[in-house]
Amino acid sequence: VSANSGYVPGLEGIVASQTAISMVDCQNGNLVYQGYVIADLAEQMSFEEVAFLLWEGRLPNRSELDALSLELAGHRTLTQPARVALDALPTDTDPMDVLRSVVSIQGVEHRLAKPTVPLAIHATASFPTILAMFHRRQLGLEPVKPRAELGHAANYLYMMNGKEASPEVVQALNTYLVLLADHGMNASTFTARVIASTESDLASALVGAIGALKGPAHGGAPSAVIEQLELIGAAPDAETYMRDMRKRKEKFMGFGHRIYRVYDPRAKILKEMCRRMNPKFYELAERVEEIALRILHEEHPERPQSTNVEFYSAGVLQAIGLPKEYFTPTFASARVAGWSAHVLEQAAHNRIIRPQSEYIGPEPRKPVPLADRG
Amino acid sequence: VAEFSPGLEGVVAAETAVSEVDGANGRLIYRGGYLIEDLVPVVSYEEVAYLLWHGELPNESELDALRQQMAAARSLNKAARGALTALDPATDPMDVLRTVVSAQGAAKSLTKPTLDEAIALTAVFPTIVGASHRRRQGKELVEPRSDLGHAANLLWMMTGEEPGSERTHWLDTYLVLLADHGLNASTFAARVVASTGSDLVSCVVGAIATLKGPAHGGATLAARNMLDKIGSAENAEKWLTEAHARHERFSGFGHRVYRTYDPRAKILREMAKDAAPDLHKTAARTEEVALRILHDAHPDRPNATNVDFWASVVLTGAGIPKELFTTVFATSRVAGWTAHVLESLSDLRLIRPASRWVGPEPGKKPLQLAKR
Repeated sequence: VSANSGYVPGLEGIVASQTAISMVDCQNGNLVYQGYVIADLAEQMSFEEVAFLLWEGRLPNRSELDALSLELAGHRTLTQPARVALDALPTDTDPMDVLRSVVSIQGVEHRLAKPTVPLAIHATASFPTILAMFHRRQLGLEPVKPRAELGHAANYLYMMNGKEASPEVVQALNTYLVLLADHGMNASTFTARVIASTESDLASALVGAIGALKGPAHGGAPSAVIEQLELIGAAPDAETYMRDMRKRKEKFMGFGHRIYRVYDPRAKILKEMCRRMNPKFYELAERVEEIALRILHEEHPERPQSTNVEFYSAGVLQAIGLPKEYFTPTFASARVAGWSAHVLEQAAHNRIIRPQSEYIGPEPRKPVPLADRG
Repeated sequence: VAEFSPGLEGVVAAETAVSEVDGANGRLIYRGGYLIEDLVPVVSYEEVAYLLWHGELPNESELDALRQQMAAARSLNKAARGALTALDPATDPMDVLRTVVSAQGAAKSLTKPTLDEAIALTAVFPTIVGASHRRRQGKELVEPRSDLGHAANLLWMMTGEEPGSERTHWLDTYLVLLADHGLNASTFAARVVASTGSDLVSCVVGAIATLKGPAHGGATLAARNMLDKIGSAENAEKWLTEAHARHERFSGFGHRVYRTYDPRAKILREMAKDAAPDLHKTAARTEEVALRILHDAHPDRPNATNVDFWASVVLTGAGIPKELFTTVFATSRVAGWTAHVLESLSDLRLIRPASRWVGPEPGKKPLQLAKR
């Protein structure tokens, strides 16, 4: 790509980084973490093992996994300033804004420190604590102290609910966290790498990534899937309702992806989990999916309009018992492993990311002094 | 498969009318088509912010309305005050800014960025920078003064004293000069965050996080630190020759974009004579020697002085302590960040580049834990 090559909207097809962390094989519908296909990891690995894989490039052995678990468990507390800041936020604050603010304040301890694996571990450990503490506060309940003997997924649910979740539910959350832990050069990961490229610190990169994930075109839509399904489910006829939606130019939530040309491999796994865990949701969702894909295909037969990861995520997270405002923050709690892995990789082969813009404003002219302006 | 362009150098990631860096001719053009050297003599920071947001310079009544709106938006809300007071007073001012802006913008639900939000965010930066400075000094916070302009109010909130017109002018000029600069890394970060449909605060927090990096906004502090180490005009030759022999980079020199003297640096260099006469002497001699050494080493490279070098001198003259340099940079650039985000809304498209896989061949089977 040379200078003056012209504007590339959305940087589509432009290679912004080389990476060995994850690869999205859009033609075959594969997601690969460090060489492993996601289907081989999803239901067999703990989130901790996958986080280690993303950070270190290989799966841990038993003693390495024990050491990582211990390190994570040891950092499930917030600093004093972070606790005070969390308590100063209004209880109706969007949990993504809570996460953005508290991760920011939690990070001031490591000002401009070079990103390291221990810092990535500490940040990853803190996300569930921030969310659970705020959730408890919203409910007017005391925070629940973390339990060191519980794994990452189990402890998150324990701190949210004040009681241990069933093994099935813990396993489901674990699988969700594994599936969402990384996904190539998505917008939030790219944001994290842009920030890291100026030699800024890990907390800064994570705070920026959280802000990007918040957007509905990225991670901010799974709760909208539920809201839309509720509306469709309440209509006398789903198909009529959905065709009317399209006449009003409304988007079907949970469909369309710029990357995959075939069914998203994560959506496939989540769909099966959803079928097992949330039959009521599944029954409606499957019907809506069938209609949505049919309508979208009629409109654009050339487009590979596939179900995306958010569609069945919503049913799985609902079955896990998470409130819908916590869907996107839980996504962030998975992706923080990938974000921090990308920051480590960026820092190891750094070059400032600074693309160009093309000026489309007027030709140079002289300003008029204030008194003479009409 | 597309080529990999490290750092996205040469890749056009946005169309913009907010500003243009014409590196070949050493021109910086702000929205509306104005050259930076034409704007500086006639506009205040508020006028430039208005220009970047609206595309036109304001008339007197529009400017009055903007000043009033900004003056009314200088207070921190409860969440932001809570975050500010929770922080150790010694916290890095950029970390304070990142955190307090995030808390100030914490909301119940996501909203589309608006001009009113851009104005409110821009108005509150001096309050946070001023508070950060007061707390570092162990002093009581100073309430904002609605009768003061943006630059004067920042100095007031830092010192509790009404600043002289010269200091205000130096700071205001700096704020005008740094308000936008094409698609730099922090502006690009703001646009990437905006591209997901996120809110304005998230964009600005991401931009602060990016500006914090020593390779971006931290360069002004680095330039001043180098001048402090050099100490005097007499020491410049010796210090720079030795540093060059150690393969150290000279802070404040070199830029990826300009092939000639940065037009902002030119204006600041002139102003530095009055703003900080002693530091100017050291800086002028440093520049002369540094450019000579760099030219001898790389006759092919356009190793010109960058804006950070002379900004560090002018900000010193305006009474800004060096720990605050990057936050004052952010205080200026927030107008540009928000203008870019607002501009991008008219044709919002997710910015999602590709990556090239350099990892192991896909498909290897994971070993069971016990066998690893």
